[in-house]
Amino acid sequence: MIEEPYRWVEAISNRREYIEHQIEGGSPIACLGYKDGILFLTLSRERQKIFEIYDRIAMGAIGHPGDIERLRMAAIEVTSTEGFTRSAQDVSLRRLANYSLSPVLKAAFEQVYGAPYLARMIFAELGRGDDPNLFVRIDYDGSIHSNGGPLSRISENFGVISGTALSMSLMEKFLKQQDCSNLNLEGALGVALDAWTVGHLTAGKDALDELPSAEVIAVHRKEQLATTIIEAAVLEHTSSLPITYRPLSRKDLEVFQKGD
Amino acid sequence: MDSPDNASVFPPASEDFSSLLRRHGCHPPVPVTQQSTGRVEIVQTEATTILAFKFAGGVLVAGDRRATSGNIVVYDRADKVLEIDRHSLMAIAGVPATAWEMARVLEHSFQFYRRSQLQEMSLDGKVRALSKLLRDNFGFVMQGVGVVIPIFATFDTVSDAARLYFYDAMGAQFEATDYAATGSGSPSVRSVLYYENTWGKTILREMSENEAVILALRALDTAAESDTATGGVDRRGKSYPIIKIVSKAGITTLPEKTLAAIYKAKIT
Repeated sequence: MIEEPYRWVEAISNRREYIEHQIEGGSPIACLGYKDGILFLTLSRERQKIFEIYDRIAMGAIGHPGDIERLRMAAIEVTSTEGFTRSAQDVSLRRLANYSLSPVLKAAFEQVYGAPYLARMIFAELGRGDDPNLFVRIDYDGSIHSNGGPLSRISENFGVISGTALSMSLMEKFLKQQDCSNLNLEGALGVALDAWTVGHLTAGKDALDELPSAEVIAVHRKEQLATTIIEAAVLEHTSSLPITYRPLSRKDLEVFQKGD
Repeated sequence: MDSPDNASVFPPASEDFSSLLRRHGCHPPVPVTQQSTGRVEIVQTEATTILAFKFAGGVLVAGDRRATSGNIVVYDRADKVLEIDRHSLMAIAGVPATAWEMARVLEHSFQFYRRSQLQEMSLDGKVRALSKLLRDNFGFVMQGVGVVIPIFATFDTVSDAARLYFYDAMGAQFEATDYAATGSGSPSVRSVLYYENTWGKTILREMSENEAVILALRALDTAAESDTATGGVDRRGKSYPIIKIVSKAGITTLPEKTLAAIYKAKIT
């Protein structure tokens, strides 16, 4: 089937279509930098989608739970081993993404006789001191999209994933219009919920380059909050401890969960 | 489906951190040397004093700062009371290289467990983890190098009380009801604590933080009086013992300024 180059390209493209279709329904995840660190937020019905990876790194993922689990464990193993044999300072998201995860995902994707990973992930790393935060999206084919972190000139202080490319670009468009860097946690939660709503509203759409209006967002957000629960976690630099990850409790989210 | 190596397809439900390190070749097991005959001369190298006791506000853990090699003082700023996580302390008497490595493994084990299993390791699990590290290290102990005898203090959120454990070199764990001590200066410290707890004005458990700190400093001073391996206080060099407290709120380290003031008023 794949002896000829054309067949191989065809096989890859079929595979891409298949995976995109599988991931399509995933609930969006919005991450954004705010005054005290980075906020991860999604709405879900049952399974956990936001995870701690290391002292300053967290991840959110959509896709097949089995594949997400394997990738999550790999990320924890790589960072924990590095943190132990060298030091916690030597653990970096840039290296985890570029040298560990991306090559493995690409290889699995292109070996057309093996199974690819059905997962799309968003990672964030809390900047040390004055360094900007780093947001990295890694796809099932190993492709990486990041905000550039310290290397970028205009650093966007957010990252998103969603089921479709269109809804991701609209979530990004929405977040570009917001300035969250000085918001407190409650303010950041409000923006993240709106960004999630934009992603969720536009996930099934084909062609759309306009953001939904504020009223439409508010109505949809209220509807969704009535039937699903918020899952959120922060990486915060307010604590003196090296561990910065903290899942938000029911109490932290109660204001929003009541549906305003 | 037939898999030639099922073990690699399904990792164990919760692989512990030491096994992960071993798999990556970062933490080779300690070789056990062949001991053909008779007694092995074990060199006692727990030259230090560590003490811990329960008081009204939690568990206080104190240690002197001296590190020795034979009769040479190597370092007078050693920190032998190590924070393992938000609520756990490990205090060490023994060979520093092994002890610090053990503390690092332990610290990473707890984090690794929480991150990978998405739940906090239980108190019993934590206590056992240190026991297992000691057991794994026994090869070194038998060779006369690398003996470590730690104390482990933590706050148990289930019973809502501070807990205190001490170990032997092979990894047996014992829960202390009131106090524990380890290191070469421990006989005199143990006597002081026993005396205070039995005939003193206030029993250890009911002491205030201030009373507890004074007692800890006096006990360490008593140990330093007769044990050369236990460091005293160097006021010029500002090196005071390390005192940490485990309570519900977490771990607090007493600042040097506080210790200096208490020393001036109550010890000398």
